[in-house]
Amino acid sequence: MPEPIQPTPIAETGEPQASQLAMPVWLLVLMFLLLYWGMVYFDQHSGWFNTEVYVPYYSLAEVQEFQPPTGGVDLQRGKALFDNVCALCHNPDGMGKPGQAPPFVGSEWVVGPPSRLIRIPLVGLTGPVSVKGQVFTFAASMPPMGASFSNDDLAAVLSYMRQSWGNKAPPVTSDEVKAVRAQIGNRAQPWTPQELMQIPAK
Amino acid sequence: MVSSQTTTQSPSVQSQSAATMAPNSPVPSAAVPAATDTQPPVPSPSEIDFSCRLPLLVLFLSGAVWLLIASAFALIGSIKFHAPDFLAGTPWLTYGRVRPAFIDSLLYGFCIQAGLGVSLWLLARLGQTRLNRRWAVTAGAAVWNLGLTIGVVGILWGDSSGFAGFEIPRYAIPLMFMGYVMLAFGSVVVFNQRRRRELFVSEWFLLAALFWFPWILSTAALLLDASPVRGVVQAIISWWYSSNLQTVWLGLVGLAAVFYMLPKLLARPLHTRYLALFTFWTLILFGTWTGVPASAPVPAWIPALSTAATVLTLLTIIAVAVSFYQTACDRSADALVRSSDQPAVKAQARTRTSALLSSPERLALWFVTWGVLGFIVAGVMRVLSTLPGLSETLGLTWFTPAQSMLNLYGFFSLVMFGAIYHILPGVIGIQFPSTRRVRAHFWLALSGIALVVLPLAGAGILEGVELQNPARAFVEISSATLPFLRVSTLGDLVIAAGHVLFSWTLAELVLKCYRARAVSAYKTATADLFHPVEVKS
Repeated sequence: MPEPIQPTPIAETGEPQASQLAMPVWLLVLMFLLLYWGMVYFDQHSGWFNTEVYVPYYSLAEVQEFQPPTGGVDLQRGKALFDNVCALCHNPDGMGKPGQAPPFVGSEWVVGPPSRLIRIPLVGLTGPVSVKGQVFTFAASMPPMGASFSNDDLAAVLSYMRQSWGNKAPPVTSDEVKAVRAQIGNRAQPWTPQELMQIPAK
Repeated sequence: MVSSQTTTQSPSVQSQSAATMAPNSPVPSAAVPAATDTQPPVPSPSEIDFSCRLPLLVLFLSGAVWLLIASAFALIGSIKFHAPDFLAGTPWLTYGRVRPAFIDSLLYGFCIQAGLGVSLWLLARLGQTRLNRRWAVTAGAAVWNLGLTIGVVGILWGDSSGFAGFEIPRYAIPLMFMGYVMLAFGSVVVFNQRRRRELFVSEWFLLAALFWFPWILSTAALLLDASPVRGVVQAIISWWYSSNLQTVWLGLVGLAAVFYMLPKLLARPLHTRYLALFTFWTLILFGTWTGVPASAPVPAWIPALSTAATVLTLLTIIAVAVSFYQTACDRSADALVRSSDQPAVKAQARTRTSALLSSPERLALWFVTWGVLGFIVAGVMRVLSTLPGLSETLGLTWFTPAQSMLNLYGFFSLVMFGAIYHILPGVIGIQFPSTRRVRAHFWLALSGIALVVLPLAGAGILEGVELQNPARAFVEISSATLPFLRVSTLGDLVIAAGHVLFSWTLAELVLKCYRARAVSAYKTATADLFHPVEVKS
């Protein structure tokens, strides 16, 4: 058999050495430059360990800018509520639906005194109603769609209506809604336009 | 800690160094006069090699088998991209199981196993110590392989943990942990008993790696398997574990082998000890914070920290590149050696230059050289994919797998192949049966890696750029990457062919070794039948 009888040691020279030369200084300089960059990067992108700051936002201020405001009137929420509730009859563009609901665009009821406007969603309205000189009659009266809304939400919806589709009226505040609610008390009978016109414009 | 150890020497060692005249001289053979104390003589390199034979053969052979298994899974997974019907009716061969089975076979079956084998040999050689507990270490290898087999079968069964790079089901982890501890314990004992107390660069890296893995594995196993942390923290731990394994552990072991093989095969001193120290500290200090993608849906400070740390790993890459260039390419290193006042260094440089390298050793050098290039390119790709401005384009595309494949194959596996080809002949005592096959393996490995990494990186860039364009549909962009994926399947095939050659060479060497030993044992045992020895009364 041609195999070696016994595995034989294979000749080999010594183990490697490492030279003791100094490392290049520029590498240390580069390290400090990169460390400095790293600090600046972390400062700008970390949100300083705040657990509410996620990519792609890098600071708490940036995140807070996109939070819904806690005070005042939230028009974005108003739009969402309008699109989900009111727009079923009044249309998302506020033009109303023939035979169902009157338009809001330029309507004197919408941009008019808040004390009258707030009362409508709270207990409803029964026609005929005149808007911009045109008289609308409906088979059914409007139900109290806004009765279950919170004061904030109702103020948001009404403010949205007063500031959209070309309407330019000051927003309705939540305090106004609260005051009107208190005045109405337990009334369940829908308003008529004539009744509403009796309410002082304040 | 490591650096302080390197400068201290115990009194007994100093006396021993005095006896052997030069502390930096080549390994003294057994013939060198022993120290004045009662310690046995320093074992010769071949004695050390033979003492490691059994565990090294078990580790390397089972590593080769896992490599073949990994290649098969890689191919199946790769084919599924352009032939979705391929094996689609077999639940255990669906993509979601084959892909993790591939990664885990490659990572835990080959990379870690080969890495531990090479570590053991390097520590024994550099410490001039025989391995005395070869059965314990071999048993550790067996336990590790048993655990991994259960793990990979569990993945195919459908029990994958779901964490990338840590898919091994929870019931296999304790076995693997035990196997690793047994293996690493053998290496640590060898390190502790080392005769050459002065530490070479590689020994820092290896010792750190030996302790690094149990730390990260136990952390991941406790926090992901045993008592899982809640929600998003799981993802963070999974990223941390995976990058500590693939960046730090593979980096430590791979660079230890590079820093040993380069100066040894080139017969030049490594450039330099301090640069290597810098490499070591930057790798473990910054590498350990990397791995969280820039777009990760976790509090912003975590990806920000990870990005800053990843950019700082550039220092490691540059230090390795400078070290490599100065050691391998710079001719002034030779002049420096000639002007050196250390006689041992001069003698070494005179007797062996790279031109005198035997063919298998030159091939080992090729593997290591390309492995270093793989390390550099993979590192730069990692930095690119996390840089602000680029991460938005390159993240969540094929670029990430391309980087990970380059790190696993193009860096670590190539270095391990080089080291194994360098170690095995000495350990077995037989030269390579066919250097032509080793050469073929080299070219297949290199072209296969290029055919996998380049198309995937290209596909990633294309995908990233196109995804920024809202006018193009997602499906359209995905199918535009198909030609790239076809080329990468070809690359997987070429890599698999290389692995077949590697396993073949290993198996043939081992068979030859044991046949020679059997023949020799038979001859000894039957010697007196043919030449009866006279019995003396």
